Amino acid sequence: MKEIRFRLFLVLGAIALSVYLLIPTYKDYLNNKKVTQQLSFLEDSLKKSNPNLPAIQIKEFINNKRDSILSNNPDYRAAREKRVKLGLDLQGGMYLVMEVNTAKLLEKLAKDPDDQFNQILKEAENESRLSNENVVSILARKLKEKGIRLSRYFGTIREDDDKIISRLLEQEADAVTRAIEIIRNRVDQYGVSEPNIQKQGSRRIVIELPGIAREEEAKRLLQGRALLEFKLVKDPEFAIPIMKRIDEVLAASLKGDSLTGDTTKTVKADTSKQQNLTEEQFAKEHPFFAIARLIDPQGRIPDAFVKESDRQKLNAYLERPEVKKVIPDNVEFLYDAKPESGPDGVKYYRLYMLNKTPELTGGVIIDAKSNIDPTTSAPIVTMQMNSEGAREWARITGSNIGKRCAIVLDGVVYSAPVIQSKIPSGNSQISGIPNLDEAKLLEIVLKAGALPAPVDIIEQRSVGPSLGQDSIKQGSNSVLFGYLLVALFMAFYYKKAGTIADFGLIVTVLLILGVLAGFQATLTLPGIAGIVLTMGMAVDANVIIYERIREELKTGKTDRAAVDAGFKNSLSAILDSNITTFFTGIILYQFGSGPIQGFALTLMIGILTSLFSALVLVRIIFDYMVSKGYKINVG
Amino acid sequence: MRLFENLNINFMSKRTTFYVVSSIILLIGLLNILIRGLQFGIDFKGGTEVAIQFEKPINIAEIRREVDKIGLGNVEVKTFGGSTGILLRTEMQEIPSNVIPKVKSKIEAIIENTLPGIEKKVIDSTSSSITYNFSDPQTAEVINNRLFEAGFQTAKVSEEPTNTGVVVRLGIADWIKENFSEKFVNNPFNVLKEDKVGPKVGKELKTDAIIAVMLSLIVILIYLGFRFKFAFALGAVIALFHDILITLGLFAILYGVIPGLNLEITVSVVAAFLTLVGYSINDTVIVFDRVREQMKLHKSLPLEENMNHAINRTMSRTLITVFTTLLTIIVLLIFGGEVLRGFAFALFIGMITGTYSSIFIASAFVLEVANRTKTKIEF
Repeated sequence: MKEIRFRLFLVLGAIALSVYLLIPTYKDYLNNKKVTQQLSFLEDSLKKSNPNLPAIQIKEFINNKRDSILSNNPDYRAAREKRVKLGLDLQGGMYLVMEVNTAKLLEKLAKDPDDQFNQILKEAENESRLSNENVVSILARKLKEKGIRLSRYFGTIREDDDKIISRLLEQEADAVTRAIEIIRNRVDQYGVSEPNIQKQGSRRIVIELPGIAREEEAKRLLQGRALLEFKLVKDPEFAIPIMKRIDEVLAASLKGDSLTGDTTKTVKADTSKQQNLTEEQFAKEHPFFAIARLIDPQGRIPDAFVKESDRQKLNAYLERPEVKKVIPDNVEFLYDAKPESGPDGVKYYRLYMLNKTPELTGGVIIDAKSNIDPTTSAPIVTMQMNSEGAREWARITGSNIGKRCAIVLDGVVYSAPVIQSKIPSGNSQISGIPNLDEAKLLEIVLKAGALPAPVDIIEQRSVGPSLGQDSIKQGSNSVLFGYLLVALFMAFYYKKAGTIADFGLIVTVLLILGVLAGFQATLTLPGIAGIVLTMGMAVDANVIIYERIREELKTGKTDRAAVDAGFKNSLSAILDSNITTFFTGIILYQFGSGPIQGFALTLMIGILTSLFSALVLVRIIFDYMVSKGYKINVG
Repeated sequence: MRLFENLNINFMSKRTTFYVVSSIILLIGLLNILIRGLQFGIDFKGGTEVAIQFEKPINIAEIRREVDKIGLGNVEVKTFGGSTGILLRTEMQEIPSNVIPKVKSKIEAIIENTLPGIEKKVIDSTSSSITYNFSDPQTAEVINNRLFEAGFQTAKVSEEPTNTGVVVRLGIADWIKENFSEKFVNNPFNVLKEDKVGPKVGKELKTDAIIAVMLSLIVILIYLGFRFKFAFALGAVIALFHDILITLGLFAILYGVIPGLNLEITVSVVAAFLTLVGYSINDTVIVFDRVREQMKLHKSLPLEENMNHAINRTMSRTLITVFTTLLTIIVLLIFGGEVLRGFAFALFIGMITGTYSSIFIASAFVLEVANRTKTKIEF
């Protein structure tokens, strides 16, 4: 009994953990249902009040609304973040593969390109379309054939071809990183929930955008040229009074709103309920400062912290006509690119008030490099500007010493260093960066202005939401019928032992889902197929063991001896066969992308969990039955 | 219940019969692959593919006629899912340049119909998109939505409220959708999916797929060579190769023969092959495992007899394990929907041939090697 107990704890622990990990998924499902139901009333009333509004627009509005409710309410959000995610093929959305256009990049990098160079580059580009060889190496080869050294167009005269090639390849990889940063930044701004952006190989980027209907819009966003700007941050003497004005105007107009009431009220009430009374009062009297908390209460720094979940609310406030009236025309509010974590784990974004017109745009930057300052050993970033930029820069820095100048990429602030002195040469150094990763990021951002990363879309797939719905239905039907068929057969063929295996099968499926939730893996339609297939394969171990027990019983062994021998003698065959399937699962995971990886993943998880069920769980039940003296019945 | 309990068949003596059977099936399959060729899906071929679901059942011949008229050349039309779904595919990536004026005039007609006499300016025109500018933001908004509803992919030039520009994509899928929404006014449709794959991606994927299948065979060869004897490992891998070839052959033979079964080679079919390699080896391992056990117990008996004994003893578990897996594959075949059908079919055929080959090909090969080289295999 004692030795059963330990294994029993193991099994019960695993089951309990799986259930625990699946609770958010279930909660998210309920929340989704609730919000959709709430919004269906809104949708109906919108349709009635605006019969001329196109159906698509209403649908888009409702979808946006749902997304914002689900991602802004902290309770909903917690469940949403921990649920089993559905792949694009199940929830609909867009899948894009982009590739850096190396030829365009080389064109930009080349010094004094002549007609001959452009001709060869074009040939190399065409050739690369049909081969796996990189444009850089094709170009190098072609130049060599013509007897031209690579150093004529790239690098310095003393460098040999190999060195230049490796540097160009580095530049190519840099361009990918840059493109990823730019795309991530824009996708965040576009407000896609749960985007997935990944580097694939050395020059490709895979982007998954769930629930996107307007492809062209998203695509333009991804392919457009990045805009890097330098903007002056407003002084506190200027910024604080404006913020105070906004606060007052907002408080007055919100008071008016709450009397007349509007459709969004029910939603708002939900989020504010948890706050205690005094805070609520503060929020009422100072609606702006309640969500945009000044970093320095004395008001020496005019930046504010905004909770991630409050950003949309604040944006809506700032869009109100009465608020817009008090914000001067030449001023705008922008957020930091990356949030900072507060003590309670909540993410805060820094909000800056900036000059709307940029002092300079990123086109003037020639190069940027992250480094370690040799004297202070702190991370720094250096940047060089062209002569025209340097002249402007000298003027700007000279007349704004002590002020902050924000580095803004596509409308998001990456850094706002203080101008220490006049910089006459255009060679600037940014210090005070917390770590080397941030320095590297800043380097990428600064280069985005100088060297755009030209990317082409080479694969584009989109799945409509209705196909996704169908697939979910088909997938869950398959799981259900697959289980029923297998379970009925096992119970019929192996009687009591078969029903034990059926129980093990339920646990196997539960564990697979638990592991998926625990690793935050994505469930795809092939992934569901993997679960269905796993059910068919999972009982194999039971079959092998039961057949062996039957044979052992036939040789006249006692129940206990037959069970022991049955499990022991079938172990090597079970392990051998599962290991080979696991191997191919790994290869498949490497080979496939998206949905196929989902299949490989569930297949591999399925193998592990089914082994656990057959070798541990089912064994415990058999051992228990033997120890209690029950008859072992394997059909 | 017990099936095949006291089975005692001399399988090995009949092996020549099975060589002939396998050879004939393989030959027919290979001939079909050579003559009819394998049909590759968009994953491997590249091109544009659109799946559309109508509200009411449609006549596929009528769709074909319509599609022929819109100037995209050779467009494949198939049913998708049921009687209301169709799948259109072309190897083209972009609308051919001679059709573009037609598309443009259509777009302009829609704009004209929506807001007659409106002022518009083409500010940018490429082979894949056209950008219009309108007099005021309101107009841009209205046109943007109207064109989107008509089936085009559109976007405002900027998200600023003062934006007056609208970009319209000139894509193959959009052109098809626009024509259909006009032609089938009484039968509204819904776009299920839309794929566009560049030719390079497909080509690379083909290489990757072959590498992946070969790699998995090599991994299994090494693993089994390590666990058993090399002759056994080789026999098992030859059996797997045989399974894949037969399944591929059936894909070529049955392509277009069974209605509703879309037998083209896609990434998921390759995934099925890889799964097959990993799973179908199981039966072989079980037989080999028992052969090894027998050989240790009865050292003096000839290999052929030991093999027969092992196959007969393991027959019931081999068949039952495959049967339970086949049950789930049949469920996928029936309930899994269009997307999983090719995948499930490949697994279905592969599982059956896999079981057959693990008995008649893998073991027989080991026996042939032992007989030919006159060596005695010992564990």
